[in-house]
Amino acid sequence: MKKDTFRVILMAIISVALLATISLYGYMVISKREVDLGSSIAFIIPLLIVVFMAFFITRRYRDIKQGMPFEDERSKRIMTQAAAKAFYVTLYWLLAISWFEEFFAGMFGVEHLDAGKTVGGGIAGMALAWFAFWFYYNKKLV
Amino acid sequence: MNIKEDMPAKGGSASGGKNRIKELRAKYNLTQEDLARKAGVRRETIVFLEKGKYNPSLKLAHDIARVLGVKIDDLFIF
Repeated sequence: MKKDTFRVILMAIISVALLATISLYGYMVISKREVDLGSSIAFIIPLLIVVFMAFFITRRYRDIKQGMPFEDERSKRIMTQAAAKAFYVTLYWLLAISWFEEFFAGMFGVEHLDAGKTVGGGIAGMALAWFAFWFYYNKKLV
Repeated sequence: MNIKEDMPAKGGSASGGKNRIKELRAKYNLTQEDLARKAGVRRETIVFLEKGKYNPSLKLAHDIARVLGVKIDDLFIF
């Protein structure tokens, strides 16, 4: 039980740190008047992650207070299946990014992607795929 | 003994279909939370089990059957 509570507190600390970071990033982008599509995506995706984490932490904390475990075989199975599918989808997503960079960047006024944007896009895609699969498997027969 | 006849139908699962968890839970006046706590799982797992939307492991099936005082065969309708 203590271990479960510690895990929830640790997740809450990480979420607050992430929220502070994106708030600072948002403030800097707005104060420098550098708001564009890229910076908006870089702000919105972590914000969605924080919202999801808040929902997740609240549920887990309520369950722990009621004497239920932090995770059980079903939640572990959903996490594993979502992670496996997200990894698989991300391989195609990374391929799509490299093909885009190779063949389409520079055309039609589309800018080339630097290494940071490519890696960031890959990680953000993986995170979104994981959340999407988590919701899917949470409703589906597993 | 014909082994093939004793085997479950292809695609059959422990709980993808019907089970008597809700009925037996009501009989013993247990809430979903009570059963979840006694079986050591989360409440959602019991909800999905009752709806037939979760295939439990043999261990969980055994634990729930033990809590409800029945055999696994009597709990899950194969």
